[in-house]
Amino acid sequence: MIVSELLLPVFVVLATLAVGAYLVGVIDGAIGAALGAPRGQSAWLAPLTQGAWLLTQQANTTEAPDWRAWRLAPALYLALAATGLAVVPWSPTLIPTDLTTSVVLWGSVEALATVVIFLHGWSANTLLALIGAYRYVALGLSYILISMFVLIGVALPAESLQFSQVVASQAEMWNVIRQPLGLPLFLIVGLGMTFWGPFNLADSRDLAGGTASAVSGPPRLVWNLARAAMLVAFSGVAASAFLGGWLGPWLPGPLWMVIKMLVVLAVLLLIGRLVPRVQPERCVTLMWVVLLPLSFIDLIWAGMEALL
Amino acid sequence: MELLTLLIVLLVALGAGLGVQWLAMCHQTMPTYPQRAPFLGGGLPETHAWNRYHVRYYPMTLLLIAFEMEMMFMYPWAVVYVEQGMKAVMEMGMFLAILSVGIVYGWREGVFKWQ
Repeated sequence: MIVSELLLPVFVVLATLAVGAYLVGVIDGAIGAALGAPRGQSAWLAPLTQGAWLLTQQANTTEAPDWRAWRLAPALYLALAATGLAVVPWSPTLIPTDLTTSVVLWGSVEALATVVIFLHGWSANTLLALIGAYRYVALGLSYILISMFVLIGVALPAESLQFSQVVASQAEMWNVIRQPLGLPLFLIVGLGMTFWGPFNLADSRDLAGGTASAVSGPPRLVWNLARAAMLVAFSGVAASAFLGGWLGPWLPGPLWMVIKMLVVLAVLLLIGRLVPRVQPERCVTLMWVVLLPLSFIDLIWAGMEALL
Repeated sequence: MELLTLLIVLLVALGAGLGVQWLAMCHQTMPTYPQRAPFLGGGLPETHAWNRYHVRYYPMTLLLIAFEMEMMFMYPWAVVYVEQGMKAVMEMGMFLAILSVGIVYGWREGVFKWQ
C-alpha cells in the first residue's frame, strides 16, 4: 500500500521533472539549430554539458547579498514546480495527489512563483537584478488574473476544482475546441510564469541577465533547472486542462499525457524562439486592457457552453 | 495520504535544490572583492541597490487586490455553477460588471501606464 500510494507518486513526479527539464533543453536546442542558431555539439548532449559546466564553475557572489534568501529562491522555485506537477493526473488511476482542490493549488503555485522570483532578484543586492525583480512583479500580478479566469472556465463544465474531474469532463470534446480562447491565453500565462521568450522580463538580456545577472555556478544550475521544470509542470497542467489529459484512442493514458505535454512544450519553445520580447512598459497595458477582457469572454463562453 | 505525498514531493525538490548548491560549493573559496562588485556595465555602484526604487505600477497592484478577493468567491461558485444555472450567471455577471467598471476607470486614469 505504501509503495503504490506514496513511493510511486513521488517517483513519477520527480522522474518527470528531471527528464522533462532535460527534454526542454534538448527541444529548445533543436529548435534553435533548425532556426539557424550557431550549433556546437549535438542537441542531446548540450544540456548535459552545460549542466556539468555550471556544476563545477566557481559561483560568484555580490558584496552583501541576503545569503539565505539567495540560496533558497532557486530551490523554492524548483519545489513549486514539483508541487505543481504533483496535481497533474496521468490516468484515471495514476494520480500523484488527487486533491479535491487541485486547481486552487495550481493557482497558489502561480502566485507564489511571483514571490520567489522577486526574492531571487531582491536578495542579490545588485541593481540590475532588482530591476528585473520589480519588472517581474508587474508581469506576475497581471497574468495571474488571466490564468485564474481561464482555469475557472475549465472548472465550470467539470463542476469540480479537481484536475482529474476536469479531464473526465472532456470525454466528449476537449476544452481546446469547446473553449477556443482558453489555451492561447493559458500559453501566454505559461510563458509569463517561466519568464520565457517574449515574456522574459525578469532575466532578459537588456538587463544583462536580470535577476540571474550576478548568479553563476551551482545556484545558476538550480535556477535554470527550476525554470525548465516549471515549464514541464505548466505543460502538464495545460495538457490536462485543455487537451484532454489521458484521454485518447489506442494508446494507454500516461503515454497520451506524455505526447500532449511534449506538444505543449514544443509550441511554447517555438514561440520562445520566434516571438521577440514584449516591452515591459507595454506589458501591463497589454495584459489588463487586451488579454484580461479576452479571458472574461472566455469565461462567459465557457459558462454558456456548460449550461447549454 | 494525498497531502503527505505532496509534502514529500515538496521537501525532496527543495532539498535537492539546496543540496546541489551546498554540495558543489562547500569546497569552493569565496571570490575576491573586486570580483564581487555588482555588474553595472563597468560602472561603479554609487548607491545601495536597495535604495529608493519608484514602483510605477503601484496603483495596478491595488486594483489587483479587488480581483484577488473576487477569486475567493469564484472558486466555490465554479463548483455549483451548473446546478444553479442562470441564477449563478446573473450573480457573477453583475459582480464582474462592477469590477470591469473599475478597470475602465483605472485605464482612463492611466493606471496601466508605466512611464
